Amino acid sequence: MSVVYVTVGSTGFDDLVSVVCSRLFLQNLASRRFQQLIVQYGSSEDVFMPPAAESDTFGVEIKSFDYTSCTQRFIDQADLVICHAGTGSILEALHSRKPTIVVVNRGLMDNHQSEIAAELSGRGYLIAADPDGLAEAVASGAYTKLTPYPNADPQPIGEILDEETMV
Amino acid sequence: MILLLAIAGAVALVLRLYFVLPIFSRRQRSTLDARKRRGKAARSATQKMLCIVLGSGGHTAEMVRLLSGVDFDRYCQRLYIVGDTDVISLDQIGMLESRRDDEKEEYFVGRVPRSRGVGQPWLTTPISVLQCFGQVARLMYQHLPDAVLCNGPGNCVVVCVVATIVRVLGVKRIPIIYVESFARVNTLSLSGKIVYMLADRFIVQWPDILQQYPQAEYVPNLV
Repeated sequence: MSVVYVTVGSTGFDDLVSVVCSRLFLQNLASRRFQQLIVQYGSSEDVFMPPAAESDTFGVEIKSFDYTSCTQRFIDQADLVICHAGTGSILEALHSRKPTIVVVNRGLMDNHQSEIAAELSGRGYLIAADPDGLAEAVASGAYTKLTPYPNADPQPIGEILDEETMV
Repeated sequence: MILLLAIAGAVALVLRLYFVLPIFSRRQRSTLDARKRRGKAARSATQKMLCIVLGSGGHTAEMVRLLSGVDFDRYCQRLYIVGDTDVISLDQIGMLESRRDDEKEEYFVGRVPRSRGVGQPWLTTPISVLQCFGQVARLMYQHLPDAVLCNGPGNCVVVCVVATIVRVLGVKRIPIIYVESFARVNTLSLSGKIVYMLADRFIVQWPDILQQYPQAEYVPNLV
């Protein structure tokens, strides 16, 4: 089964959550042959209102919850990850080598989230979109042509630490 | 006479700061350097205490990844400084430490008031900073760590200031290793701008920041 996992992280993201409940978005998922949508909506519960009628979800089965302690498990079983532009979620999605669409929250005060999203999408590791452009980004299928993210190597931090504490 | 003493005191303090603060002595390092240094630093047998500052959300997620590059056999004592409302970081510490099962090791968790909550008004910030400062000073005095590793949450500024004061007073040299957040591509965070003056090693994960902050070190793919 082809699964999309949407995650807003530890807070909420109203614009993203309401977009993934929209008919256009669900229709586009169906047209890309996705069968299941799993939404972690965080504190945006109030705007999580998927269509009640099955005909309005275009055959996409929808599951949801507010928070989970095993994000990684849901990412692992997904074929496409749609996440907010928080570092934690981005890194989890990239390292699990899943096609990723990052949605930037322009409502945030100190908006360096768009910086990182733009940089990573410029390098072809993920797709960056606005909430308004998300349905379109899914429909285009560009997420199938991404570059795998290189493996992380945190070893230099240990070495730098050792150098500084040798004295 | 008093004036003269005051001036002499001020001059002495300035000189002390000049010789002690890393910003005046750090040389420019290139990425190539960082690569060449690999494996050079032979691990010393002596065991150390490492102070790790955890902050909310993304900072903690990144720190957990960074810590997988740190040899816990060597840093067998660990002092975690965590915001008092930060439950997620406590879970992460539990997970990290549960993998270590060694009687020779120990770790401490110091919970301190947040120096500034997200969206907290600037007017009340000095009060919360002072509260945080007091707690951090007590913890640092108790444990006197051998190094501080931090990556940008507000609390880490307070920890770095305290570590610097300990150093200026001549009690102990506590090197500060700062890793700017992965999300910072072109600019430093407010914490980063302040700690740039205090850190012995200032690591950035994207190259463009070097133009403005030449004493930073660029190390890609850390997390």
